[in-house]
Amino acid sequence: MARTTLFLGLTLSSLTCWAQSPLDELMMPKNDICILFNYEYGQFDQYWEGDFLRENQTIATVQRRTAMLMAAYGINDRLDVYLGLPYVSTNSTIPNGGKFAGASGLQDISIGLKYKALEKSLGAGKLSAFGSLLFSTPASNYLSDYQPYSLGLGTPQLAWRGIGHFETEKGLYSRLALAYTWRGYTEAEREYYYNEGSYFTPWMDVPSSWNMDFTLGKWWMEKSLRVEVSISSQVSTSGDDIRAYNAPQPTNQVNFSRLGGFAHYYFQKVKGLGVLGYYQQVISGKNAPKMGAFGLGVTYQFGL
Amino acid sequence: MNKITYTILMIVSLFLVAGCSMDLPTQLEFESYEYASLDENGGDLQPILMSKGLDIFVEEPNGVNSPEFLEEVEQVKRQISSASEDQKRNVLQWTNNPVVRWNEIALELIAKYNLIPGPNPDGSYTLPNPASPDGPPPFPFAHPPYASRALAYLSVAQYDGLISAWYYKFQYNRPAPYQIDEEIPHAYVEQPIPAYPSSGAVVARASREVLTAMFPLEAAYLAAQEEKHLEALLLSGENVPSDVEAGLKIGNEIASKALERASSDGMKYAQTSKAVSDSIANAAFERFGWKWVNLESPQRPVGLTPLFGKVKMWNVPSVESTRPPVPPVPGTPAYEEDVRILLDYAANVTPERRRIANFWQDGLGTYTPPGHWNDFAIRDIVKNKLNPLRAARVMAFLNMAMMDAGISCWDAKYYYHYPRPIQLIEGFETIAGTPNFPAYTSGHSVFSASGAEVLAHFFPEKASQFRAWAEEAAISRVYGGIHWTFDATVGTTQGINVAQYSIDRAKTDGID
Repeated sequence: MARTTLFLGLTLSSLTCWAQSPLDELMMPKNDICILFNYEYGQFDQYWEGDFLRENQTIATVQRRTAMLMAAYGINDRLDVYLGLPYVSTNSTIPNGGKFAGASGLQDISIGLKYKALEKSLGAGKLSAFGSLLFSTPASNYLSDYQPYSLGLGTPQLAWRGIGHFETEKGLYSRLALAYTWRGYTEAEREYYYNEGSYFTPWMDVPSSWNMDFTLGKWWMEKSLRVEVSISSQVSTSGDDIRAYNAPQPTNQVNFSRLGGFAHYYFQKVKGLGVLGYYQQVISGKNAPKMGAFGLGVTYQFGL
Repeated sequence: MNKITYTILMIVSLFLVAGCSMDLPTQLEFESYEYASLDENGGDLQPILMSKGLDIFVEEPNGVNSPEFLEEVEQVKRQISSASEDQKRNVLQWTNNPVVRWNEIALELIAKYNLIPGPNPDGSYTLPNPASPDGPPPFPFAHPPYASRALAYLSVAQYDGLISAWYYKFQYNRPAPYQIDEEIPHAYVEQPIPAYPSSGAVVARASREVLTAMFPLEAAYLAAQEEKHLEALLLSGENVPSDVEAGLKIGNEIASKALERASSDGMKYAQTSKAVSDSIANAAFERFGWKWVNLESPQRPVGLTPLFGKVKMWNVPSVESTRPPVPPVPGTPAYEEDVRILLDYAANVTPERRRIANFWQDGLGTYTPPGHWNDFAIRDIVKNKLNPLRAARVMAFLNMAMMDAGISCWDAKYYYHYPRPIQLIEGFETIAGTPNFPAYTSGHSVFSASGAEVLAHFFPEKASQFRAWAEEAAISRVYGGIHWTFDATVGTTQGINVAQYSIDRAKTDGID
């Protein structure tokens, strides 16, 4: 029986992209549904202002909690569709110098497709290739121009992703996912902002980016458990720097590299039930928070 | 691929095509227009920094039949015929009302420099220093009082310079090159205003000089802007080099008058030492039993410009005459009612209140509240097709009134030294940034009410709109959680009072 994971790779605060992506190699059998409920907690007390890593007692430690419901469905054995909706809440720890209220609410609703383009034996293993599309757009009227507490970037996003996956017969695998994430415009609630010059409009151009994830993993316990380590990075194709001791804004060029560890366990005794956990730490960046985050989730898969 | 996939892909592609090409305006889009009036007697207007427009001497130009002038006309004709596409675009960019463009340059620099210095690693703060502008931190910190003052000197210099220019234009009546030679194309709308001295050159030089003094690190940028503007004057067909030279002379002289006043208006003493700042706070504590304190971390030792209230005003004889009454004493029913209102707003951030708080925030990194009212003003100037002299007049009275408003507001702020909501309400959180100065009265309220009153005077058909905006700007600070309601309401009254002095002066300057 094929197994499915849903893993939302990039819940890295509003300062970076929000790109929940079906970025793994697992496909749903036709007419199967998988539901994920995931909780993530992330925090940072340092961020890169341009290339300069700094602290800021105005915001102290920023905390971010995300509860996410996601569903996947196998349209056929080569094509999956995904739907996701996260609820996010943010705040600073007390004491802090800014006394800003945090924010909470529904973030972006996403819909995705993953298509299996290729599968063939190669030496002692199996090579597969996938293409996926993930579109997301704000599901509430949250304000993207309220950083670092904004729930998200407040703009439609579309990630075009190619995935290559090689897995040995012993269950050792590596995977590379490359994506171009297009981002549109976000509407602020002011009619003037500075982005290396004056802009007399509430609309801000949110930079698009290249996103890369490289994963090494292994199946254990007769394919009941998979464990992965990964490195991810984002390079924005445009954008300005956070200005000195100033708040970030959605026009910023956000780049980062991040290490992650991930495990997903499928219960043998309860058919379709799984639990997952992960930890991620940003290790370098530009106009990005040095966010560390862990997540815990429950998956349940069943046929229609 | 099946049908569903295809449909989704189509939707996505359509969205991409539609969403990719948004045009984000970086300036007010308008083209050269026919002025609503020519103001042939504009040279008789009462200037601000001198007694008459003719106080600046401009010699009589060479006549239209003189070989010198005809050679100049030939010269610009050659230049125009060989102008590049970039140069032609530059001519259209400046339009026939460069008061607007130079105001936009000022707003851009304000936003660029409106960054509060952060703490040093040891927790101390270093303030920008005009003697070493490179910093760190760079000079200036273009906060609202600084912005109001920069805009006031800019607009007053433009206005006075244009009064002189208008005087000599209709004194000497020398036509523009496009009027002399039919083969010279005119880039702008044709109207019978003499070309000597060039009003564009007056605006370019006066603006460049004032802004260079206010933003010394931008000297090269401003010189480049001036160069582009002067080139546009020649390539537009409106000016020959001697028109420009005479305009530059006026620009230089009026800028030095403006900067002479600026150098002795008291601004250099506005940011005080900690000792002086503490004594001001303690005086308020002795008087009223309260004092504002900065709650940032690390704590800023001195509030923003404690002595801005002592800066020389433009049109108000004494700042004390506009000082508002004592605010509600903490603990009294009037005060407790305000606490209740603020807690209610904080607990119920409606979409409308949030929108208002953000629309008017004009905080760090932006063009500030005075900048916002300049932004409004230039839109109505263009909409009403004011000529540059009339435009500069509106901006001069607007910005004088708003600087006076800032001075009056800062006098109240540091006289009363009233605490912010986060200081008095335990655990209170805000959706706007709490500034580094006392609460009473709200700067946004005073700036906005004064700006609205001046604009209501010049554009009476829109008076109720301006006043409604000013009230919204005032209450926005309460929605943001950083002001008491009485900061806003009393501040609005204060702004209206302060503006009246500038409006009274505008009524008697000889044009309406």
